[in-house]
Amino acid sequence: MKYISFALALIITISLGVALSLQFGSIPPLGKLLDPNHGFWQNSYSEDQLVKEEIRLTGLTSPVTIQYDENLIPHIFAQNEIDLYRAQGYVTAQNRLWQMEFQTMAAAGRISEIVGPIAIDLDRMTRRKGMPFAAEQGIQFLENNDPETFKLVQAYSEGVNQYIDGLTVARMPIEYKILNYKPERWSPYKSLLLLKYMADMLVGDRDLEYTNLRTILGPELLEKLFPLFPEENDPVIEAEKLWDFTPLEVSKPEGINYPNDSIFVKTMPQPEPGVGSNNWAVSGSKTASGRTILANDPHLSLNLPSLWYAMQLTTPNHSVKGATLPGALGIISGFNENIAWGVTNATRDTRDWYAITFKNDDRTEYLYNDQWIQSTFRIEEIKVKGEASYLDTVVYTHHGPVVYDQSFRAERQDVNFALKWTAHLPSNEQKTFILLNKGKSHDDYIAALEYYTSPAQNFVFASKSGDIAMKVQGRFPLKWEDQGRFLMDGNDPRMEWKDFIPNEHHAATLNPARGFVASANQHSVDPSYPYYVFDNSFEHYRNRRLNQRLSEMNQITVGDMMELQFDNFHLHAYEALPIMMNYIKADSLINAGAENVAYLKDLADWNFFTFPNQTAPTLFHLWWRYLHRSIWEDLRKSDLPVVLPNNYQTVKLLTNEPTSFLFDKKTTAQIESAKDHVLASFDSMIVQVKKLKEEKGDYTWVNHKNTTIQHLVPNFKSFSFEGIYTGGGAGILNATSERHGASWRMVVELGDEPEAFGIYPGGQSGNPGSKYYDSFLKKWANGEYVNFKLQKIQDSQSTLFSTTLKP
Amino acid sequence: MKFTALLILTAILVLFLGPYFSYPYLMGIIVVLSYLMSSSGASSFFAAGLGMGLVWLGKAIFISIDTSSSLPDKMADLMGMEQSNLLWIATGVLGVLLGGFSGLTGALLRNLSKPKRSQGMYRY
Repeated sequence: MKYISFALALIITISLGVALSLQFGSIPPLGKLLDPNHGFWQNSYSEDQLVKEEIRLTGLTSPVTIQYDENLIPHIFAQNEIDLYRAQGYVTAQNRLWQMEFQTMAAAGRISEIVGPIAIDLDRMTRRKGMPFAAEQGIQFLENNDPETFKLVQAYSEGVNQYIDGLTVARMPIEYKILNYKPERWSPYKSLLLLKYMADMLVGDRDLEYTNLRTILGPELLEKLFPLFPEENDPVIEAEKLWDFTPLEVSKPEGINYPNDSIFVKTMPQPEPGVGSNNWAVSGSKTASGRTILANDPHLSLNLPSLWYAMQLTTPNHSVKGATLPGALGIISGFNENIAWGVTNATRDTRDWYAITFKNDDRTEYLYNDQWIQSTFRIEEIKVKGEASYLDTVVYTHHGPVVYDQSFRAERQDVNFALKWTAHLPSNEQKTFILLNKGKSHDDYIAALEYYTSPAQNFVFASKSGDIAMKVQGRFPLKWEDQGRFLMDGNDPRMEWKDFIPNEHHAATLNPARGFVASANQHSVDPSYPYYVFDNSFEHYRNRRLNQRLSEMNQITVGDMMELQFDNFHLHAYEALPIMMNYIKADSLINAGAENVAYLKDLADWNFFTFPNQTAPTLFHLWWRYLHRSIWEDLRKSDLPVVLPNNYQTVKLLTNEPTSFLFDKKTTAQIESAKDHVLASFDSMIVQVKKLKEEKGDYTWVNHKNTTIQHLVPNFKSFSFEGIYTGGGAGILNATSERHGASWRMVVELGDEPEAFGIYPGGQSGNPGSKYYDSFLKKWANGEYVNFKLQKIQDSQSTLFSTTLKP
Repeated sequence: MKFTALLILTAILVLFLGPYFSYPYLMGIIVVLSYLMSSSGASSFFAAGLGMGLVWLGKAIFISIDTSSSLPDKMADLMGMEQSNLLWIATGVLGVLLGGFSGLTGALLRNLSKPKRSQGMYRY
């Protein structure tokens, strides 16, 4: 009997111990998680409760001092660059290890390893787009062509790895504990993957949708609804700019034939429309102090841990501060003692598609220039948590990887579309930022940008010496008109990119007469620019509001620039609403006291600002949403993937051609005009508003918009913040919509000692248990900033704690 | 007496070795401790269980108070619990189960090696 009792007790004890350390489905290993010495409880400590005054870091040549200020912003003081980046790697990993690894896992198409089969499709897409392939190319290029930068990237990587090596289970980021996996070693390849991740986040294309639109609408109507330049083009580089170079010649080949089939592939998700970024710089002639001021606010997905991590990086030769991308070296948007710079996405069609004809089903040969060419295969092994690996065979042509084929997102057997993308080309973006960090002049800035390829950016610049500048930088294929706008024939060599626009021909300006430079993702240039520039997603509102405000403003202060970053004026509503109100004769309805007059009155009295407590922005937003849907219903209901005309073109059509045949719905017997759509959408708006009132109590902008800063794992809802009380919206300078917005705001005035302020929605810590996880959030929502002044090693007044890294 | 001694020894052990060893190791050590204490099964179960459970509960409460972190609330929410206090209880209960069954196993192991009690004999 006693043997049975013992055996039973032993089995229960072992089973309990084992079961509580295993993950069952989505239930994490509860024993490990609740163990107060190693589990989640240990993640309750904030960084200032876990201070180590000295840490040994092998590979350093001299000691490195790190001073954390009251916001947990590290100020790293090193004696040379290699020590500096080694320390940057170590410190970044201390605060953001899980995030930097998760993002590179996403960029490598390895999310299934963490979350299981649910992510297989996403991983296949990432790999088929050639992201790991691109990073591999990049690392090879760096190793062979720029060993100096490679050494720095390696030092950063070693810094990260030394942190990982010394990491105890207790200090492991909580996400690893919940998802039950461990960090891998970092490598220079991962730093490059991260830059590719940014390229993927920011670059879209609509070639396949445009191909369908050309069939549905015909070339003329396509041109009318999707013109190359808008009527009120207010480009990044001022329209008056005279181009002082002789352009390379490029002409459209005779007798070009695009593949004419309708395309049924399920096209890839695209960057969110209406969001982007703002940056600008004003010259001393427009500022109160006579010094240049630069501002930047990149609008990206609002995530936690925050995309950005603030840092100061100092050597005896330079001191630079601003926002870093955890995983990449240096400051990405920031300033030093001499210059400041910032970035916005320079949307441009740098991704093209080629229809490939294979000789037979084995796809080992494809047709190019009427010859059979050998293709290559890349077998992608996608490891899947809890299941066997998924093997995906991706065929590579000289154009690039075949993304859509019979096994992926295509319904037809003969669909094989290859992707050509500048992000696949060897490049050295990392060097650009390393050089900018220590730049001193406009010449240094231009020299740094030479290395930058993808994703194309509008780099704004200001210097202590009084220069302001803007350059649209990326690697841009030299295209003939419409090249790459539609799916192209992979067999026809004339459809290939032949060359690139030389760097010195990229649109750029230095100290323009208007006294400012500005960009907000709009068209880069005026039609006078001698190269073909096309993209589907150019901005039409933020740019005009920004340029208008900057033109009007004088005696500008840093405070004025902060206010401008938080400007909530809805230019789209300002232009569209009066027309909509006019069509339904709102004034007479209000006077007649018609039903729902309160809504109309609210809209009539609206000042076109979008503060969180206002209700009119919600009314307009809903009304416009239904109106846009209603006008383009025929296109929307097409079986083929298409893109709809943007808000700007739709407003133009409403204003100028209210009886256009485009307003007539093919599905009804009557002939509709603009007025019919406006009336119908107004009714839909009322229904939705009443529903909103029932569900949420009111229909204030904050409630309707529901700005959410979401944890990178969306299921971790309690690590996210919903219903943030803040204004703005898509297409507004304060572009804070539901899930996108200013991921970083910075204003810098350059003088003998630069004055700088910055903020981002989140906090320095990646740990949801730390008080520094969301410590910036409230200030960000209120449009406030924290001081980003450069610190010297002896400025210890605001130091929270210090750590010395010793060799 | 043995009950109190095992409880205190288990608590001390879990408190001081806990930060260095994960709980499966602690369970092994408790098995050995309970074996050495040679207490009855029930007594070992409750003594070792309470020893480990109380330390885990105490540590969870201490960390919550020491850090004032919102993490327990966030974790409770993530795990579908309405109150983070339940996480204290869950941690304590888990400690009791892990410690208790380890203690019981140790005691029953010791029981195996004890000589059989004399059954007595009647002579006619």
